[in-house]
Amino acid sequence: MKELIQRQMFDYLLTNGVKNFVGVPDSTFKYFLSHGLKKNKIIISTREEEAIGIAAGMVLSKQTSLVFMQNAGFANSISTISSLIQLYEIPLIFLIGWRGYLKDDAPEHYKIGKIQPQLIKSLGLSFKIVSESNWKKHCKWALQNIRKDIPCALIIRRLS
Amino acid sequence: MIRREAIKLASRIIGNAHIISANGYISRDLFETDDKETNFYMLGSMGLASSIGLGIALSNPKFRVFVFDGDGNILMNLGSLTTIGILSPKNLIHIIFDNNSHESTGGQPTHTRKVNIGRIAQTNNYRVFQTSTKSGLTKILTKTKTLSGPIMIVIKIKKSKYISKRVEIEPKLIRKRFCGTLEKKARY
Repeated sequence: MKELIQRQMFDYLLTNGVKNFVGVPDSTFKYFLSHGLKKNKIIISTREEEAIGIAAGMVLSKQTSLVFMQNAGFANSISTISSLIQLYEIPLIFLIGWRGYLKDDAPEHYKIGKIQPQLIKSLGLSFKIVSESNWKKHCKWALQNIRKDIPCALIIRRLS
Repeated sequence: MIRREAIKLASRIIGNAHIISANGYISRDLFETDDKETNFYMLGSMGLASSIGLGIALSNPKFRVFVFDGDGNILMNLGSLTTIGILSPKNLIHIIFDNNSHESTGGQPTHTRKVNIGRIAQTNNYRVFQTSTKSGLTKILTKTKTLSGPIMIVIKIKKSKYISKRVEIEPKLIRKRFCGTLEKKARY
């Protein structure tokens, strides 16, 4: 995704009520993060599950929050998503970088990249794949879910 | 002092401040000895009580937030200490009930039998206290009322055969009542 679109997406989420952005960085959305860091709105955690815990605490305090991570970290977090976020119905937005979407990505991303859609579907976490043309529509969709107390995910593919 | 006694005493002194309690026997003891709407019983997500507590402390800087953690729990999320150290919330009090073991899975040993968790916390910008007695715990909790955090209190406890009942409240209700008290408190 282009730098300008990533920055617009961050600003859109921020101005539409997302107060906290917590997580582990991924190159797929590096411009999203650098823009947020400049505005002092990003908290970097040591692991993805830690980020989910911190953001859960913020959501319990009635602050809309987003957790960002690479899909490798999403795979690490499955137990936490089911036993904390889904068990207590804590509405969080996940922003996930989809590495291994293309076959020529680094070899460590191949397996999880291949099963990413099945992985998230079997968890029962609703998601949308975000592109340069549909990002605003899907961000709106995510914010609507949060208002209904439903956790959900936005996925950004690595296309180059 | 066994964990159940330490948890009951700490919870009574803390009163109506918010507590995030770790999964396993810690939440069960807290539920059985001093159930309050301000308790958030973390049933799964082992290791994350301190992270949830951090999120709540950052979002509510005007009041104090307590984490009731275990040695096995914090060892699973040591990175949390560095994140708490960097963000340094003044209102976070992190209590470790340390019996050097994974008691709820059969008493297997944890690393705190030879590694000092308080010293690790100190290098992460925590103010650290340690005790193994009821009078020591009472003194520390009274003293820390006027100190700014992050604060860690390590309570060395003895193993016990007593097992508290499971938390009998639905997770969604735990969340609802806890959020209700947070909202109320934030308003005043």
